[in-house]
Amino acid sequence: MARGPLSDIKILDLSHVWAGPLCTRILSDLGAHVVKIERSFARGLREPAGDPIGGWIGKDPTGQPWNRNAAFVKLARNSRSVCLDLKNEKGREIFLQLVAHADIVIENFSAQTMPGLGLGYEELLKANPNLIYLTMPGFGQSGPYKDWVAFGPIIEPMSGLTGAMGYSSEEPRNSGVALVDPTSATSAAAALVTAIRRTKQNGGTGTQIEMSLHEAGVSFQGPWLLDHQLGEVPPALNNRHSNMAPHGIYACEGPDQWVAVACETQVDWEVLSSISQQLDHSWSLEDRVERANLIDSAITVWTRSRSKNIAAQELQALGIAAGPVNTVPDMFEDPQVKERQFFVPFERDFTPMPGNPIKMNGIDPADWTRCPDLGEHNAQVLEQWLGYSQSQVEELIEKGVLADCPPE
Amino acid sequence: MPLIQDEYWCQDRKKREMDKVLEIGHFSAGFCGRLFARNGAEVVRVKQEDPPAWASTQAMDVFLHSDKKMVHCKDKEQIKRLASKADYLVLEATSADFALEWGIDDWDVPIKSTITPFGMTGPKRNWRATPNVLLAMGGYTNCTGDPERAPLSLPGHYVEFQAGQFAYIAMNAARHGKQHVDIDISMLECVMALSQFTTVQWSCADHVRSRHGNDFWWVVPTNMFRCADGWVFMNITPNFWDACVAFLQRPELIIDARFESNSLRMSNRNALHEIIDEAVRSVSKTELRSRATECRIPLGVVMTFEEVLQDPHLLERDFWQTPLDHDDLLIPDLPFRFDGEKRNAPRVSSIVDVEEVWRG
Repeated sequence: MARGPLSDIKILDLSHVWAGPLCTRILSDLGAHVVKIERSFARGLREPAGDPIGGWIGKDPTGQPWNRNAAFVKLARNSRSVCLDLKNEKGREIFLQLVAHADIVIENFSAQTMPGLGLGYEELLKANPNLIYLTMPGFGQSGPYKDWVAFGPIIEPMSGLTGAMGYSSEEPRNSGVALVDPTSATSAAAALVTAIRRTKQNGGTGTQIEMSLHEAGVSFQGPWLLDHQLGEVPPALNNRHSNMAPHGIYACEGPDQWVAVACETQVDWEVLSSISQQLDHSWSLEDRVERANLIDSAITVWTRSRSKNIAAQELQALGIAAGPVNTVPDMFEDPQVKERQFFVPFERDFTPMPGNPIKMNGIDPADWTRCPDLGEHNAQVLEQWLGYSQSQVEELIEKGVLADCPPE
Repeated sequence: MPLIQDEYWCQDRKKREMDKVLEIGHFSAGFCGRLFARNGAEVVRVKQEDPPAWASTQAMDVFLHSDKKMVHCKDKEQIKRLASKADYLVLEATSADFALEWGIDDWDVPIKSTITPFGMTGPKRNWRATPNVLLAMGGYTNCTGDPERAPLSLPGHYVEFQAGQFAYIAMNAARHGKQHVDIDISMLECVMALSQFTTVQWSCADHVRSRHGNDFWWVVPTNMFRCADGWVFMNITPNFWDACVAFLQRPELIIDARFESNSLRMSNRNALHEIIDEAVRSVSKTELRSRATECRIPLGVVMTFEEVLQDPHLLERDFWQTPLDHDDLLIPDLPFRFDGEKRNAPRVSSIVDVEEVWRG
């Protein structure tokens, strides 16, 4: 298990898909003990319906696809897995016993799921009055949308972001990366460390945190929502920027090769304008915004004669903000990324996994443990947390309360 | 550096109701400080000249810096003295060398977090970067936009806000662990850490993820469609296919062999997209959303900022906050609440004399 400042924190993680598991991964990287409470039907990403989007760890399902889905594995390091049937009375009882020993329960079911299982906040609080309970339904637990079905990509357009990006006002685009999920994950982690401080340091009692994915998405658009009220112009589209020009993504030598460039200041412009005789170093920001098409064409002539890495390096040498539009193989080979050892090959088959962007003394990726198999820690957790014997655990497996693989 | 659990946090003189945070930097440090301020800490921001923002100065100030005290101070010794009274320091700089110029190594603050574009080490530690550069290098840009056109960068301050959020998480965790720490946050690494399945798709499936416009290629239909008065985005994972057929009011599709599975729908995506396009094109957003609720499918309407501000769900949930001294503005609250309690209304920051801050 990872070491870190949260090493005295125990989390029961019932979350699935992306936002919730990413939240607990962030906290487990800081030392928190995360126990995933999973069900044998392996909902969410653990067992994909078809070929998994992210492939199989080791490129082979090895007869255990529920343990090999790379997109799931990526989010589950440093955790342990207990596969418990919460619809079974005994399973529910065991869960509440675990809750009594936990500091945090996190789930991202729809608003009615936990109460429907008889595991609403009031029930959990009876088991542990000091519990921090974080629920992250898509639209929260109240309001007219509370029962709407939600995934990150449908919430993104409702945040205002989609209408603010695109090639033109008639061509809105969603981000390609389901942005609301990672926004919600970090927001949830921020909520939990705040709650830990409130309850642990200040002697507080249990608390319920409601974290709506919708509100996380909207919150990040705050400056634009304020600007709209202040009568300011909406943000520029098509990679442009109202307060920087030029600002864009420019074609480089080779198919689908691009470099991102931004000119932040007048001094930057005076330097950047030297790359083309068509450009006048005295143009102000307003001049440059007005001549954006001409400037973009001139820059493209320059970038097209270079690879994206060379273009970025030459512009950086001039003191201009620029960087290649990287694919994943590009990222893996980036000298900066390699030197800081950001991708860590600790998983099975030495699969490189994205690291922890928090670098601090006392935490080290060398301590990380691989994603657990389904139910791998049934016995360990029940023995360590609840004092169950091996025979009791075996009996629970026999009765289907615990499992370590999906049903036949 | 070894982990130090020290007595700092246990000393009576340091026990106070409010944590003290010194914030130096721009939008990332600002977002980190905002989280502290909105969660009850006393935040002092050393005002800096910010790089160009995606919104007006007034909007950025109201959003990021409400509930903070602002000081104008260029004297580093004076700032160092101020830091000695703080529990946390968040320093954002445009490069590692600029961060080092502050000389914070010998500042007496138990928890220090430095946020820079590329981190404090590595050959690109002094590269200049803006959000569009970091999104490009971190793999987001290559996945966004249309296949035969330039990739699209994400507008706004997502990168800085996420880096600020990671700094906040790390600093609070360190505080919980009663540790003295120096935290190094690289904005590029924040982007890469928050990648979807993009990295493993290469490592485990030999596939380099690319752009597909609004079409989420692997789950069909997941795409944006034009309707009578705007656009809607639907995200139909396999278990919602039957409901989607009802939503489209095309029951015969349920037995259409072309669409029996996600794999088949992927193979026949163009035909399916045409059918959906035809089914929704003349229907209003309101009607489509109403049908989506009835049929229980995941569907979102593309909203303007005005529509977001008027969203009945957010209004009923009392999501917006009105600054004490700006009752004509709505600011989004933090997206989480404790025990349903709404935070106090924020107060737009005021400039204070540096000598008056944390006096004594």
